[in-house]
Amino acid sequence: MNGFLVILKVELFSLFISPATYVASFYFLSLLAFGFRFFIESFAASDWILPPLSSLALGLILGGPALIPFLTMRSFAEERRLGTLETLMSAPISSVSLVYGKWTASYLFFCFVAVCAFCFPLILWICFPDQGEGLGFQNFEQWAGSGIFLLTFGGSFSAIGIFSSSITKNQMVAGMLSFTLLTLYLSLMAFSFGESHQSDSIVGVSSFLKSCMGSMYDGLNKLQNFSVGLVEISTIFHQIAVIIYFLSLATLQVERLKH
Amino acid sequence: MSAENKPLPIIEVINLRKRYGLIEALKGISFSVGKGEIVGFLGPNGAGKSTTLRILSGIIPADSGEAKVCGVDLAEEEGEVRRHIGYLAENNPLPDDLRVVEYLAFRASLKGLEGSRKRDRIRLVLDICDLERKVSERKIGNLSKGFRQRVGIADSLLAEPRLVILDEPTIGLDPRQSAVTRKMMERLRGEVSFLLSSHILSEVEACCDRMIILSHGQIVAEGTLNQLQNKFIHKTTFEIVANSQRIELQKTVRQIDSDCELIQDDPVEVNGKRRFTFSTHKGQKIAETILRRLLEVNNFEVSEFQISRPDLETIFLRATKQNWQEQDFLGRNKKRISKETNQSN
Repeated sequence: MNGFLVILKVELFSLFISPATYVASFYFLSLLAFGFRFFIESFAASDWILPPLSSLALGLILGGPALIPFLTMRSFAEERRLGTLETLMSAPISSVSLVYGKWTASYLFFCFVAVCAFCFPLILWICFPDQGEGLGFQNFEQWAGSGIFLLTFGGSFSAIGIFSSSITKNQMVAGMLSFTLLTLYLSLMAFSFGESHQSDSIVGVSSFLKSCMGSMYDGLNKLQNFSVGLVEISTIFHQIAVIIYFLSLATLQVERLKH
Repeated sequence: MSAENKPLPIIEVINLRKRYGLIEALKGISFSVGKGEIVGFLGPNGAGKSTTLRILSGIIPADSGEAKVCGVDLAEEEGEVRRHIGYLAENNPLPDDLRVVEYLAFRASLKGLEGSRKRDRIRLVLDICDLERKVSERKIGNLSKGFRQRVGIADSLLAEPRLVILDEPTIGLDPRQSAVTRKMMERLRGEVSFLLSSHILSEVEACCDRMIILSHGQIVAEGTLNQLQNKFIHKTTFEIVANSQRIELQKTVRQIDSDCELIQDDPVEVNGKRRFTFSTHKGQKIAETILRRLLEVNNFEVSEFQISRPDLETIFLRATKQNWQEQDFLGRNKKRISKETNQSN
């Protein structure tokens, strides 16, 4: 993995100096903050079965198609447009380090946004400890479960974004492709949500899809487990497989550009 | 130097081939570049120059053939080869949002330079490429084309390369900026080998030890300027400025060399005298004999005599034209054959 750390460093640097990333993150976090405020205000009156912290994880995952393209669309599309990918390939680094370096940078930025989002309940708990305890913020397993859920799915979302960026020279096309793929991914995840109410024929299709796609299929159901601290190793491994799959496709695409 | 003691060439290319779909970009080219040599790589657009340079830089693979850089086989150890070379891509793509020093530091880290060695090398290449402190702190996006080009060259020199490949390094530069690039190559002459692709033939003529001319994926000429002149230009051309009538002068010249031809029928007037241009197949010596004879005859009043050597542009045009005719790229042979067939029918 020659040059992985160098690529990671420079990509993180360019993400942190890019105004587009800040604007996207600011609006995303603002919307998330409003949503969270609304949710905890109406939590007591609602029949929501999950702990309040899960709303943040859900918000971050459902908002992924809006945030992830801003973090990933530049990575390869811009390099290809400017022609700097050729200059990069003339240095002694491999395509794998290049792809993984860029993915790690966007993933770490996603984690940074997620950490910022988790500061909302933390600040609330510090400022108003009684209300915080009433909402269950003292339960460490809920923090850990929601965090791990976000880390695993955030990784696969970023990998999809990097793959989208690797197949075009146009940032906007990369962004739209990434948005479409992530929306499809979320649709699949939401497909089986509340499947107990479905008819027999749908259940048949649903069990087939489940056997094929694992956590990609019933990802939102997994959130129910993760948010109460039940971490499913199989889901984590499945998401790692999704990450490797999309990053391998991106690597193949970079290698293809050489020919 | 005996054959056994001869150092390994920096580049050794044997029968290199590359195809893009239906187009055969390289049709089995072979050449070598010695240590410290500056070699010019010439050819019309689409001749395969950039493809060859990109293969040698390890960016794209060849379809077949052998290419060794610094004794290392490109097909087997592409990563190792990239450590020994500096490469300036055509159009010199650079990231606009980084400062010059930041970019060079990033490139140095990619090439495995760390700590004080990295700092020293950055300082040295900034000095070699004449990028003073004020420029090095500026964002690349705000630099002029000349300075951007120098940043690209500085990058190619960062990792103490044994070979520097420059693809059109002076394209779009003003003469002063081009001179800076030439000065840089002169400074490193003997230490680093340069393979330089350019359309500016006067520049190649001025700074290269040897030239390789490519046309339609084939090497059509290779050698020093002198060798190429001897190979492609068979006539010696000389100019005489004299106070004489054309017929009289021509008669005297023909007495020495009956094949000598007067190129222009109407000589050019120069300060009341006339400039005559002759050409001969018999070389430079016969031209000198003609001069001696004209000086003996006082009434010619020869004030100037010059043997004109053909420049690289003439050689380039001659070499590529010859290749076009051989390969029948203009389709003249085809037309002639079809015309003959039609007539016979």
